[in-house]
Amino acid sequence: MHEISLVQNLFHQLADLAKQNKMSKVISVTMQIGPLSGVVIDSFQFGFDILSKDDDLIRGAQLIINTTAVTYRCSKCGATQQSSGVKPDGCSACDEQFLFAEGGDELILQKVEME
Amino acid sequence: MCDSCGCASPSDHSHTKTVDVHESLFAANENIAKSNREHFEAMGAVAINLISSPGSGKTTLLEHTIEHLREEFRIGVIEGDIETERDAERIRAKGVPVVQLTTGGACHLDATMTHKGFHQLQKEPGGDKLDILFIENVGNLVCPTSFDLGEHHRIVLVSVPEGPDKPAKYPKAFTSSDTFLITKTDLLPYFDFPVEEAKAEALRLNPKIKVLDFSSKTGEKFDEWLDFLRNLATEVKRQTA
Repeated sequence: MHEISLVQNLFHQLADLAKQNKMSKVISVTMQIGPLSGVVIDSFQFGFDILSKDDDLIRGAQLIINTTAVTYRCSKCGATQQSSGVKPDGCSACDEQFLFAEGGDELILQKVEME
Repeated sequence: MCDSCGCASPSDHSHTKTVDVHESLFAANENIAKSNREHFEAMGAVAINLISSPGSGKTTLLEHTIEHLREEFRIGVIEGDIETERDAERIRAKGVPVVQLTTGGACHLDATMTHKGFHQLQKEPGGDKLDILFIENVGNLVCPTSFDLGEHHRIVLVSVPEGPDKPAKYPKAFTSSDTFLITKTDLLPYFDFPVEEAKAEALRLNPKIKVLDFSSKTGEKFDEWLDFLRNLATEVKRQTA
């Protein structure tokens, strides 16, 4: 989708955080990305690698990505099952086809390590 | 004493700090979307975001909808396209306030563009008091799905010539939408488009989605769409009043 522009947004946010905390170098950035966020992790990592080369604050920083799971809740019996993103064909308890997705759409900056 | 932190140690030790942020990268867009929604509600308008591939019939749908409903509702339109004023000209010809946003390459509208468009629309004759605001997104089934514009209701359209596999191929357009419209049903005799299968596929992805099928051109089942809009306008107004 818009991984490069999302990385740009992230860098603006990192610059603000560094300023607020009077830090001059980002060591690591931890992100949480869900399978339903629309973000392709490889493209996000690629954008981070490319753009950080031109950024004194972020050059050499490590990007840590934690992926989340989606919870699918059965519309009939309420049973839940976790998935890494592929929608199950049916409820694991009663085979009902209609399942509601919960969570999994995160694109969250969790924490930043700076010096 | 250390120059950086003022501690008693010599200045050659490192100062690292871990900051817990926990903020969504979509937060900036979502905050603006929220304020858009408040603006729409202050005017008493129901905002509807239309998403589809190019050529699914979004503008044609709006032309016919305006013809049928302009005596009942004050309708306004924000048109999103990469280039040209063409869609806005078609809507303007129907006599309702319209603003064309040209993104100059961007493949979707975001909350900031919508905010600007809305304020431009308010300056158009009749644009300061609306019952229904249609926002026609840039033709694209992927990118627009990730950006809340502040709409109350999101609609995804698929026309018969595009084929029934769109829900399976572009799931987010369907999981993030409230209503699914199958358009150009007058072409069903010429295409292999099993309507019930497409409906079932969309419902499997999003059990809450409402599905309608009709032809704007021939008017077949178009009344169902108009009734749906009437109910939606009343319902949202009641909820936000």
